[in-house]
Amino acid sequence: MTNTATLAVAGARKTQSIVDACAGGDPTTRRLVVTYTLSGQLDLEERLRAACPPASLPEVCGWYAFLLRHWVRPFLPLMYSGKRLGGLNFDGLPRRNSKGIVIASGEERFLDGDSRAYKRFLSKLALDVADAADGTVITRLQRMYDEIYVDEIQDMTGYDLDILERLLGSTSVIRMVGDLRQSVFSTNAQDPRHKKYRGLGMLDWFEVQKKAQRLEVHYASTTWRSVQAVATFSDSIFDPALKFQATESAQEKSSEHDGVFALAPEHAAAYIEHYQPFRLRQTIATALPQGITATNFGISKGQTHDRVLIFTTKPMRDFLTKGTRLTGESACGLYVGVTRAIHSVAFVMPEPDASYLTVWTPTG
Amino acid sequence: MITRIVVRGYRLFMDFELEPNAGTNIVVGDNESGKSSLLEAISLALTGRINGRWAQDELNPYWFNVAAVETYFASLDSGSPLPPPEILIELYLTNNDDSLQYLLGVHNSRQDKVPGVKMHVAPNPDYAEEFADYMADAGRPAILPTEWYSVDWRQFSDERLTRRPKELGVSVIDSRTVRSTAGIDYHTREMLKDFIEPKESAAVAVAHRKARHIISTETLKSVNERIAEKGDALHDKPIGLHMDQSASASWEQSIVPQVADVPFAMAGQGQQAAIKVALAMNRSADTTAYALIEEPENHLSHTRLTKLVDRIEELAGDRQVFLTTHSSFVLNRLGLDKLVLLHRGTRVHLGALPADTVRYFKRLSGYDTLRLVLAERVVMVEGPSDEMVFERAFRDKHGKVPMALGVDVISMAGVSLKRGMQLCSALKRHAAAIRDNDGKEPEHWRMPIGELLENGKREIFIGEVADGPTLEPQFAKVNNDDDLRQLFDITDGDKATVDWMKAHKTDWALTLDEHPEVTVSYPGYISDAVDFVS
Repeated sequence: MTNTATLAVAGARKTQSIVDACAGGDPTTRRLVVTYTLSGQLDLEERLRAACPPASLPEVCGWYAFLLRHWVRPFLPLMYSGKRLGGLNFDGLPRRNSKGIVIASGEERFLDGDSRAYKRFLSKLALDVADAADGTVITRLQRMYDEIYVDEIQDMTGYDLDILERLLGSTSVIRMVGDLRQSVFSTNAQDPRHKKYRGLGMLDWFEVQKKAQRLEVHYASTTWRSVQAVATFSDSIFDPALKFQATESAQEKSSEHDGVFALAPEHAAAYIEHYQPFRLRQTIATALPQGITATNFGISKGQTHDRVLIFTTKPMRDFLTKGTRLTGESACGLYVGVTRAIHSVAFVMPEPDASYLTVWTPTG
Repeated sequence: MITRIVVRGYRLFMDFELEPNAGTNIVVGDNESGKSSLLEAISLALTGRINGRWAQDELNPYWFNVAAVETYFASLDSGSPLPPPEILIELYLTNNDDSLQYLLGVHNSRQDKVPGVKMHVAPNPDYAEEFADYMADAGRPAILPTEWYSVDWRQFSDERLTRRPKELGVSVIDSRTVRSTAGIDYHTREMLKDFIEPKESAAVAVAHRKARHIISTETLKSVNERIAEKGDALHDKPIGLHMDQSASASWEQSIVPQVADVPFAMAGQGQQAAIKVALAMNRSADTTAYALIEEPENHLSHTRLTKLVDRIEELAGDRQVFLTTHSSFVLNRLGLDKLVLLHRGTRVHLGALPADTVRYFKRLSGYDTLRLVLAERVVMVEGPSDEMVFERAFRDKHGKVPMALGVDVISMAGVSLKRGMQLCSALKRHAAAIRDNDGKEPEHWRMPIGELLENGKREIFIGEVADGPTLEPQFAKVNNDDDLRQLFDITDGDKATVDWMKAHKTDWALTLDEHPEVTVSYPGYISDAVDFVS
């Protein structure tokens, strides 16, 4: 069996594919599912419990817990003599200089006074410990699990990619799923390593792994969420040169207001009143009309809403009016926002007529 | 499978290490050698429990090695106090089982990359202040305040254990007198549970609850009515009698096995032991990889013991068995090569024993091998007369019987000296063998066992051919003939002293033994043997 990476579009039931594989697979196969977000982990555990017979229930653990439990904790004394892992230091940082750059080196770069691992350098610590254990981290893992699933692969950056590469070299079958176009989080935001593989750049990393025959890359381009008009619009956010396949909608529901629209700020209140859309913005920096609240794109990940209303930024408006490409990160954010919708996406912008979208006004 | 056991600071064990056999381990030693403590330590690290109760609840000062505790308290008054005593028990497991990989890590005292479990008992850092206060108190006794200690039970991967890893199932069979109020000990109850499916368990629980309810509402009805009549006099609220329906009244506590219509607790203790072994065998090797058996020979007749030992052998088929015994029979039958000899908390190393010698003693299972094994110094003689003459010679020299000075004189009674010497050699034991030359040069007898002998440590003593083939002529030669005839009261004038002695082999030796006031001389090889073991 070969390792696979399945790159899915939003709404392609990525997580469900893991649930299905566990529920329908050989119950004697030992599986581990590694997820990135905590909410994702809880949701996944619930769905697995509902779908899997007890014997097929895989182990589920978060990415940091995976690194702590299987990479660092069992072998830490081989790297730092006499040390035992205290836990995870989520927010703290080791010693820095006046410019805020971490200058601590050696043990104090990775472990705080209570021997807890700094989150920021955890994956590098995991690699160091694995080197000190001389291959036993991987042999132990491959003897424990026949299959390892990694969800939200798009969020992995920096040394996480080295961890993944080592997993790909194990005898366990690695199944990665993710959507590069939704890479709005990252496990190691400050990690300078593998900068070129950030976000959409991860496509290149997959190429490298493919060439090394460690990985097969599959695409899943059917969305079970958005109607075709929304799906097609979501594709248009990215440069065709990236060669993502066109998304096909399998959504059978329709409504009297399907598609992508633009509207003026003065009509926002009326639109909200009429359609009760879920309101979104890129970040807290996006200004909102008086009395209206909205959720940031990043937080909305994983959610599904009938209708979405997006408050635009200048680059978004340039994209909607002149077709100017968004930068990678902004494009991913917008993609996440747009693909929350089943039926409709509407953009709030001062000159809706300048866009190539259908303009909505209260009178219709 | 356990490949290594490390025990530090626990009871008799100061710093103990053992690489056990894959199948059976027969743990042998004098009293106070640590036999039971070793089984206890294994059970603690495997299950986190002792006699069915959690280690933390049972922890007491007597768990700690006495010498370590004494050294610690003595050091407190000196300039350089030592750290408080701790207990460490580590079980290293074979690394050939994928299902044990989660136990793998380097958190063990050797930093081996193997699966394993460990129990560490140390002062709880949360109570550092209380511990210090206790120690600083001028009136405190020299007893460790185990209240401020905690039991840390972990995998070698440094993850905490809260229950026994399911792969490390263990059957504990203790046939020493065990009595709990329920008439059945925790371990036996655990084994019985294996028979009951969860569904049946639930059904029994429901029926049990119902029965109790019926007793409460129907059988006890008249009683409760009578109490109610006098109720006002008793208390201002009604009082009634009901069956206990709380969790502590669970059916598991009221179920006991019966043996041929006799409740388990009423069965003979020998039978109880046999039943426990049978129960342990019934568990699949998947669920019980280990069996710990204490003194199976207790309360058993010889024929029953034979059966039991057969069963234990079968039990050991795919399990690792640790068994303590005081019985040579058990030891011989299960195989001398399985011997784990303990002496005051340390292991006496057993060298390789030839397979045919192991088989030899298996067949001669009645032979008291344990005497050879447990003696500090051994003198092997051929028969009773040799034994008595040697003892008398020893007494003449030291004024004490050999046993009083740790020398065990063992009559081989037909068992080959070579086999005995092989065992002594494997144990690096101090041993002397005494034998007749039977008309052949001493070298003839010495040569076949030459490699088992060691200068000053193991030697064979044989009289010169010229002085006679057996003890009688050898003895007669160095003593005055008239004196001997008088001592032995030989009245038949036709009979030579030596011939009379040969005809009365044990009589003359017994007479000699009973008349310590009569001075005699001993053949040179006997005196040499006495000197050798002194």
